[in-house]
This record gives sequence, C-alpha cells and structure tokens, in this order.
Amino acid sequence: MQNAGLEYDYTVSKWFAYLAIIFGIVGMSIGTYIAFELAFPGMNEWFGQYGTFSRLRPIHTNVVAFGFTLSGIWAAMYYIAQRTLKVSLKENSFVHGLAKAHFWLYLLLAALMVTTELMGITTSKEYAEMEWPLDVLTVVVWVLFGMAMFGMIGMRREKTLYISMWYFIAFFLGVAMLYLFNNMEVPTYFVTGMGKWYHSVSMYSGTNDALVQWWYGHNAVAFVFTVPIVAMIYYYLPKESGQPVFSYKLSLLSFWGLMFVYLWAGGHHLIYSTVPDWMQTMGSVFSVILILPSWGSAINMLLTMKGEWNQLKESPLIKFMVLASTFYMLSTLEGPIQAIKSVNALAHFTDWIPGHVHDGTLGWVGFMVIAAILHMAPRYFKREIYSRKLMEMQFWLQTTGIVLYFSSMWIAGITQGMMWRAVDQYGNLAYSFIDTVTVLHPYYTIRAIGGLLYVTGLFMWAYNFYKTMQSDKVLEKEPAFASPMGA
Amino acid sequence: MNSNIFQDNINQLALLAAVIIFFLTVFVAGKYIKQMKTDKSTGELADENWDGIGEYKNELPSGWAYTFLGTMIWGLWYWTMGYPVDAYSQIGEYNEEVAAHTAMFESKWADADDQTLQEMGEGIFLVQCAPCHGIAGDGMGGKAADLTVWGSAAGVLATIQNGSKGLGYPMGEMPAGMLSGDAAKKVAEYVANGMKGEMPAEFGVCAGCHGMDGKGMGGMAPDLTKYGSPAFVADVLERGKKGYIGKMVSFKGRLTPIQEKAVGAYILSLSRSE
Amino acid sequence: MFHWLEQRPFFFSVGVFLVIAFAGLIEIVPDFAQASRPVAGTQPYTLLQLAGRHVYIKDSCNACHSQLIRPFKSETDRYGPYSLSGEYAYDRPFLWGSKRTGPDLHRVGEYRTTDWHENHMWEPTSVVPGSIMPAYKHMFTQNADLETAYAEALTVKKVFNVPYDQPGFTKLGSWEEAKKQALEDAKKIAADMKNKDVKEAVERGEIPEIVALIAYLNSLR
Ligand code: HEC
Ligand code: HEC
Ligand code: HEC
Ligand code: HEM
Ligand code: HEM
Ligand SMILES: [Ca+2]
Ligand SMILES: [Ca+2]
Ligand SMILES: [Cu+2]
Repeated sequence: MQNAGLEYDYTVSKWFAYLAIIFGIVGMSIGTYIAFELAFPGMNEWFGQYGTFSRLRPIHTNVVAFGFTLSGIWAAMYYIAQRTLKVSLKENSFVHGLAKAHFWLYLLLAALMVTTELMGITTSKEYAEMEWPLDVLTVVVWVLFGMAMFGMIGMRREKTLYISMWYFIAFFLGVAMLYLFNNMEVPTYFVTGMGKWYHSVSMYSGTNDALVQWWYGHNAVAFVFTVPIVAMIYYYLPKESGQPVFSYKLSLLSFWGLMFVYLWAGGHHLIYSTVPDWMQTMGSVFSVILILPSWGSAINMLLTMKGEWNQLKESPLIKFMVLASTFYMLSTLEGPIQAIKSVNALAHFTDWIPGHVHDGTLGWVGFMVIAAILHMAPRYFKREIYSRKLMEMQFWLQTTGIVLYFSSMWIAGITQGMMWRAVDQYGNLAYSFIDTVTVLHPYYTIRAIGGLLYVTGLFMWAYNFYKTMQSDKVLEKEPAFASPMGA
Repeated sequence: MNSNIFQDNINQLALLAAVIIFFLTVFVAGKYIKQMKTDKSTGELADENWDGIGEYKNELPSGWAYTFLGTMIWGLWYWTMGYPVDAYSQIGEYNEEVAAHTAMFESKWADADDQTLQEMGEGIFLVQCAPCHGIAGDGMGGKAADLTVWGSAAGVLATIQNGSKGLGYPMGEMPAGMLSGDAAKKVAEYVANGMKGEMPAEFGVCAGCHGMDGKGMGGMAPDLTKYGSPAFVADVLERGKKGYIGKMVSFKGRLTPIQEKAVGAYILSLSRSE
Repeated sequence: MFHWLEQRPFFFSVGVFLVIAFAGLIEIVPDFAQASRPVAGTQPYTLLQLAGRHVYIKDSCNACHSQLIRPFKSETDRYGPYSLSGEYAYDRPFLWGSKRTGPDLHRVGEYRTTDWHENHMWEPTSVVPGSIMPAYKHMFTQNADLETAYAEALTVKKVFNVPYDQPGFTKLGSWEEAKKQALEDAKKIAADMKNKDVKEAVERGEIPEIVALIAYLNSLR
C-alpha cells in the first residue's frame, strides 16, 4: 500500500502547529502566573484590574483548552486525515479553501476571545465563557471544520475509516451538539433595544442551568481533552514505533463504550447539589463504568509497544506517548473515584480537582500535542529533528513539573477538605476559613514551580521545532516510521 | 484538636481513594510497561493498512473484558435495584447527621463546668470570632472590640469615652464622653464590679438610660448588672454590634445556647485572667 | 456490522450521534420543570442587585467562590442552612462555582455588612490578615452598567415571565422609575460607606461598581 504519486499538503496543518506552540506558551505562562498569584497575592496588583487571578483564570482555561489543545488537534487532524484517507488537500482547491478559511476565522475568534475576556466580557459558565456574538463565530468555525473534514472523507481512496477518524468524527459531532445547547441565550438588546448589544441572558435558570452546564462541561472535557487526543495517539504511536495496533476488537469496544458511557456521567459535577439524588447517582455509577472504555484505549496503546523496550529507551517521542497513556490512565481512574459520593464530599471545591485536571491536561493532552508536533516536524520540513538531547531534557523537566503539580495539589486538596470538615473534641468546627487558606501557601508555591518547569519545557519544544525548520540538511526521503533526530 | 480527623469516614475514604488511584495506576501501567521489556508482539494482521499502520486481530485482554462486563452488571444492578431499594436521600442523611450530633452535644455538655466551657469557648472563638477580633482577642488594633479589656473596668471606661452603638436597643446610641476623669473611673469600677457597694453620685448620668438599678429600664438599654457576664455576651451575639471593621452581625441561630455560654466564658477569661 | 459502518461515514456519524444524544435527554429532560420552581419568598433581583451581579460575573468572583451550601453539618455550621433548588429560580446564569479558594458566599448577606465589604474589597488583608484574595480597587472608580442590567431584567420579565411588577414581587417599572429606585438604593448603601469618591459619585447620581456589588452581596442570604 504505497501512497505513490500522492503528495500531501501540510500548509494548514503547519499553521495550526505554529498556533499550538504559541498558545501553549501563552496559556501556560498565564497558568503559571495565576499559580504564583495564589502563593504570592501581591502579584494581583501588577497589571491593575487586568492582572487579577479572577480575570486571568478563565483566560488561562480558554487559551489552553480552545487555543493550545484545539490547534494541536487540528494540526493533527489535517495531517492524519490526508494520510489515512489517502487524499491530498492539493487535489481539491475548494476543500483546501475551506480548511484555510477554518484556520483564519479560528485565529480571529481566538483573538476576540482573549480580548473580550480580558475586558471582563463573560457569561461566567466554565469553558463556555464567550458571549453570543462569539458563539455565532464559533458555529461558523465549526461548520467550516466539519465541511473540510467531511470533504476529505468524501474524497477518500481508502474505503475503511481508520480508528483516528472515528474519534475525529465523534469530536466534531459531540462538541457541536454540546456547544449549541449550553449556549442557548437571549440577547437582551434585541428584546429591549437597550444596554450593551453583545449582552445575553441564559435560557435556563438556577438548577436547570447548572444541569445543562455540567452536561456540557463534563463532555467538553470528553470531546476536547479525550476523544480527539485518543485519535492522535492511535495514529502517532503506531506510526512512530512502526508497530501494528494491538487489537482491533479492543479499539472497537473502547470506542463505542466511550461514546455510550461518557454522556451519562456529567452528574458527577453536581454531587450533593440541588439536582435530584437519582441524577447524582447516575453520574457516579456511569463514571465508575467509564474507567474501562477509557483504560481500553490506553491499554491498547501500551500493548502495541509490547516487546519494544529499546524504542522506549531510545526515543524521547515514544517516552512522551507512553507516559501520556499512563497519565491518561491515572486521570481516568482518579476522576471516577472522585465521582463516588463519599469521596466527592471531600474532594469537591478543593485543590484536588485542579490536581485531577492537570494530571489529564499536562500529562495526557500536553504530552500528546508535544509529541505529535515533533513527529510531524521532520515530515513538514523534510529535515531531521534538531536535537534528541533537548527533547530528552524537555521530557524529564516536564515530567518533574507534572509530578510537582499533582502531588502538591493532592496534598493541598485533601488537607483543605479535611480542615473544612474537622471538628474539635467538643464537636465544634476546628478551623476558620482563613486557616485553611494560609496552610496552602507551601503547596501553592510548589505547584507554581512545577508550572514553571513545564513552561520551560515548552520553550525547549519551540526552540527545537524552530531549529528543525532552519536546518539546511534536507532529508532524501520521508521517514516511514521512527523520526530521525540529531544528537 | 484534630485527633478525630482520621475517624471521619469521609476522610478515611478520601485517603484510601488517593492511595488506590496512585497504586492501581502505577501497578497496571507498570505491568504493561514491563511487557515492553519481556514480551514480543504477535498476532494475525488484519488486511487493512493505513499509512503503514497495521492492526492485529488479537482478542480482548481478558482482565479488561471481564472487569468491563462486571462494572456494567454492577451498574445495572445498582441503578435498578441497589439504589432505589436503599431509598437514599441526601437531606435525610443530613438530618440524621445533625440530629445525632445535637443529641450527643446537648447531653454531653449541658452541665459542663466553667473550665470546660472556657476551653470549648476558645475553640469557637478561634473559628468564629478571631477573624475580626484577632487570635488574641485584642481587636487587631481597633478593628473590632478589644476583648482583652471588655467586661472589666477598663472596658466600661472605654465605652464611657467612646460611646456605644449597634446593639439596637430602643434608646438608640449611647453618646461618647458623658463623663471623664476620676468620675468616669469611679463609675467604671462600680459597673464592672456588678454594681455592688456604694453607688457613686455620678452614676446618675447613666441612670437616665440604664435606670438607677442599672437594669436598663425594662429593656430600653442594656442591663448593666449583667455587664461582663456570659449572659451579656450572649445578648451581644444575638444583637450584633457596629464598629470600625464593619458591623458584627447577629449570631442568632448560628451558635447554640451552650456555644454562646462557652464563648462568653472564654472572653471573660481574657480580661479577668490577671 | 461495525466494519460496515466504518466504510460508510454517513451512517457511522448518525450512529455516533444517536448514541451520544440519547443520554443527554435522560439526564436533562425529566426534572426540567420541577427544578425551576421558586421557593416561597424568593424575589427577583432589584436593578441595583442585578447590576452588582454583573460586576461579580465580570470579575469572575465565581473563580474562587461557590454559592452552594451542601447538606453537611460542617458546611451548615460554617455558612448557614443548606441551599435549596428553588432559591436559584431567578439566577441566570447560576453561580455555584466549582472551586472554593475562598469561602462559600450563598448566605454571606447574613453575616457580613456593607462597611465590612467596603474595607475587604478595597484591601482584603486589612480585615483578614493572610487573605489571598485580590484587591478590587478599580470597582471604586468604575461605574456599574445599569442600562444593561435593566435590559436583562426586562428581557427575563418579557421572555421568561419572571414576576417583576407583580403584587408582592420586586418592582421594576419603566427605565426612569427603575433608575430612580436604583439610585435611592445606592444612596442607602453609600451612607454606610466611607470612601469619599464613592459617596460623591452617588451624590452626582452615578453608581460605582462597588455599590452595586455590595447590594448584590447583601442580597445573598
Ligand atoms: C465581622 C466581624 C466580627 C465577628 C466575626 C465577631 N465580632 Fe465581635 N465585634 C465586632 C465589632 C466590629 C465589634 C464592635 C467593636 C467596637 O465597638 O469598636 C464587636 C464587639 C464585640 C463585643 C463587645 C460588645 C460590646 O457590647 O461592646 C463582644 C463581646 C464580641 N464582639 C464578641 C464576639 C464573639 C464572641 C464573636 C464570635 C462568636 C464575635 N464577637 C465575632 C466584629 C466581629
Ligand atoms: C442616652 C442614654 C444612655 C446613657 C446616659 C448611658 N448609656 Fe450606657 N448605653 C446606652 C445604650 C442605648 C446602650 C446600648 C448601645 C449599643 O447599641 O451598643 C448602652 C450600652 C452601655 C454599655 C454596654 C457597652 C458594651 O460593651 O456593649 C455599658 C457598659 C454602658 N452603657 C454603661 C454606661 C454608663 C457607665 C453610663 C454612664 C456614664 C451610661 N452607660 C450612660 C444608653 C445610655
Ligand atoms: C484568588 C481568589 C479569590 C478571588 C478571585 C476572590 N476572592 Fe473573595 N475571598 C478569597 C479568600 C481566600 C477569602 C477568605 C479570606 C478573606 O476573607 O479575605 C475570600 C473572602 C471573601 C468574602 C468574605 C466571605 C466571608 O465569609 O468572610 C467575600 C464577601 C468575598 N471574598 C467576595 C469576593 C468577590 C465579590 C470577589 C470578586 C470581585 C472575590 N471575592 C474574588 C479569595 C478570592
Ligand atoms: C473516566 C474519566 C473521568 C471521570 C469520570 C472524571 C470525573 C471527574 C470528576 C468527578 C470531577 C470533579 C467534579 C467536582 O467535584 O468538581 C472532574 C473534574 C474535571 N475533570 Fe475529570 N474525569 C475523567 C477524566 C478526565 C480527563 C481525562 C480530563 C482531562 C484531560 C479531565 C478533566 C477534568 C476537568 C477539566 C475537570 C474540572 C471541571 C471543573 O471546572 O470543575 N477529566 N472530573
Ligand atoms: C504550566 C502549566 C499550567 C499551569 C501552571 C496551570 C495552572 C493552573 C491554575 C493555577 C489553575 C487554577 C486552579 C484554581 O483555581 O485553584 C488552572 C486551572 C485550569 N487549567 Fe491549568 N495550568 C497549566 C496548564 C494547563 C493545560 C495545558 C491545560 C489544558 C490543556 C489546563 C487546563 C486548566 C483547566 C481546565 C483549569 C480549570 C480547572 C477547574 O476549574 O477545576 N491547564 N491551571
Ligand atoms: Ca456563550
Ligand atoms: Ca472549575
Ligand atoms: Cu466530568
């Protein structure tokens, strides 16, 4: 099965890769900044009202989730789709045009998103902060993405869709459905002719609003931080290692299992809230079941590497991806256990939740995006990766960063949760709230240092990528599997 | 103070959870990573091949498959039989928790001695009051009342000098500076000593509002015979008080009578300890 | 069967969509009407409170503060009675938050007051040594956006039948009336404050963000 005569066009994939690098550095530098703010609150005043923890936090989450992660996903999608469907964007200028329009409108959207949120224009719903005009633009971007992707699928020469494409299709559909329903809002200007034109009010109120929001919020995690990242590992790990995927059956069951189970689990964000008990229980039960389809993909990938210890030892790229699978396992076991009622009673509202979040985002999402872009660099530029040593250093630095992040937040969260509950020997509360804040200072400091290490790694990543681009040694042939790298 | 932290079942479960999460992940992932060292990849390849990526037709790992099946059966059972049969309600659980605690608390501490009350009061104070009054109760440089003098002659003197407001008695506010110098001191001593002994003539000024007997003329102003007693503190806690830091709002319903008594005992120990 | 689907992207997509859409319906639909019924005594926000709520949202206080008291003794001892679904009936959007870097605020109006908030929002450590909350000095000089708040109140009244202006419920009235009322409310709050700029602004008929925010915080009980 040679792809004779087919020359892929990586233009759009490359653009998204550049963006992923930029947004990664920006978003995580902001993350590190707000992490330091919690340890050293004086920093809140450095940039006036634009630098407070509360203004910057949603910008951090949006830039990393919808800037860094989505860019990384799309860089991968425009690359993987061409190669596994055996089509080239060169073949059809209309589809290629859609892809380019997708990129430029997305860039505009991202710029507007950051600007408006810096100004304090937000609807307050986590991961759906944008006001309605930007929601409209999001829909346009999404439709362009869908048309480009289905355009390529329509042109395909390979009849059967590869596993990665299953996940990309689910990513498209899932986010579209979730986003639409959670952003149902009424623009107030159109009803009254008064006030800010871009202001809107939610269609749902109170408990209902919470319900829709966390149906969305949970599955936004599912369909942005999980589904398309699984798509990526199913391509890059077998491709980089040259190993066939361990089991088709396992891929199949994991996929449909994940699709079916994920959507039911949103209730675990609302445990002990005012939504009905049965719904909370449903969230918990499905969360526990969800461990298996999640672990299925991770195990499938680890088993794909069976017998390939040498590769793990030699290649930093393989290291990134094997550790990513492991962190994926960690966070998809951690989440379900935090979804158990009695555990959630302690964990909810504490730093253990950001701890869980970053196990997944730094270890799984971050590492996959980093590995994918480094794998593509030699193919983009027909040059070997500039430095293996630098990659190796980056890997260890960032791994240390993640370990510092999650160990400090686990301790902080559990300490905080226990102190909130603690009573003295008479049965009265043992700590005032501020006691539970000041004890966290060392952990907040450690977390921030962890963030600093991770961001340092990102700069190494960017430098490595840049030097690869600049190198004047051209590769004769595109590498089939393992990416060539300099010392 | 936190000796009971590990007896709370939520705490126990959370710690257990953290341990399980960590070790189960390390164990299972470790097992597969070890196979990278020891095993060889084998299997029958499927016909398809995408961009050089093949696919084995291997069977499902049986541990995974059985566990998946197991959780599905468990979920179905829990959802249809386990959970409704259990007839659980989170509010019911809460009511039980509170009822059990209240019964225990009231029977155990109903006749607590002064020493016990003071100790209990210290705990309550550090949680509920210290945010405004400071850990030492000194009012953090005038932000809230300085409780190390409140209830003593010095406290009354301060009230005479500064006036008092915010308790919401029908008389309204007490103006500042109604007496000064020795006269103020004498009256302060008299009031702080529970209005026993000879009444200074200057007390007439106070009597206009608090009555000759100091009892507050039937609720028009505070009852000075109780000044500096736990009962007076309880009265303050129910009414709230206004000051520099902002208003101290009523603790009505937020502290039980035993707790109010305890915190009162503790506060008085602050100004009376020397 | 699956292999068949994998070769037909259209049917594959339909299959995926059905599988994921199904759960959402079961999760959301059954309790929808029930959950939005207000508890007796719950009032729609006044114009000033609503403007304050917008300030709360604008500065993302919900990044650190929850507004959901769970039914545990440790929480009801600390924050007051546990939250009820109907208390949120007029909350669009809901502001439960998902992280308590600071304390819960659902009943903060019961135990903190205007003057305390004024000190605290200007410089949190001045009243709570060790606080890591940012200072929000810009709220003392920027004005709240009453007009947008009014547009929102009127929208929910018209579109969602929120009972403004009905007997026993919050009065909204015309824009002129509502503005006048908001200014009166603001004066009461400013009277308890000491910041000169704020007091003067209110005298001039302006409403600084901090005044609206405090009106909102005081309404949380
Ligand atoms: C919100 C802050 C705050 C909290 C919390 C608080 N207080 Fe106060 N308290 C004040 C202020 C302000 C005053 C009045 C200060 C003044 O007169 O200058 C005051 C005054 C007092 C007084 C003197 C009353 C009087 O009549 O002079 C007592 C006694 C007192 N508080 C006890 C307590 C106790 C006991 C608790 C906890 C259960 C408590 N306070 C919690 C702010 C607070
Ligand atoms: C004009 C009426 C009036 C007069 C005269 C008056 N008081 Fe009071 N006094 C009050 C009122 C009203 C309060 C409650 C004020 C408040 O809300 O805190 C009060 C409170 C007090 C308190 C309790 C303060 C605290 O710590 O809570 C003391 C002690 C006291 N008065 C002593 C005196 C003495 C001694 C004099 C005479 C020098 C005096 N009062 C004269 C009206 C008066
Ligand atoms: C970085 C996190 C953070 C942000 C952002 C934040 N707070 Fe806080 N807040 C805290 C902490 C920590 C405390 C507890 C210490 C204290 O009282 O200052 C607190 C306490 C409070 C309290 C006192 C509650 C009580 O029970 O004593 C109020 C009211 C409050 N914040 C309001 C706000 C408002 C309004 C905003 C947004 C404009 C806000 N906070 C933003 C962290 C934050
Ligand atoms: C089996 C899979 C998972 C389950 C069942 C699960 C469960 C949970 C639970 C119970 C919470 C805490 C809710 C709370 O108490 O506030 C949570 C929060 C969160 N999880 Fe997971 N998790 C899973 C996997 C993941 C993965 C892989 C990621 C990211 C890569 C992730 C990202 C998040 C995020 C971002 C939040 C925070 C949501 C918020 O803002 O409150 N989760 N998850
Ligand atoms: C250098 C790396 C990073 C640092 C230092 C960092 C830091 C932080 C901090 C301090 C918070 C706020 C936690 C709180 O409120 O207590 C946060 C929240 C969050 N971050 Fe990061 N972050 C980093 C990378 C990432 C990445 C790569 C992602 C996603 C791909 C991500 C996604 C999130 C999300 C979803 C939240 C919200 C969690 C919640 O609401 O529970 N972060 N981050
Ligand atoms: Ca929106
Ligand atoms: Ca959150
Ligand atoms: Cu979730």
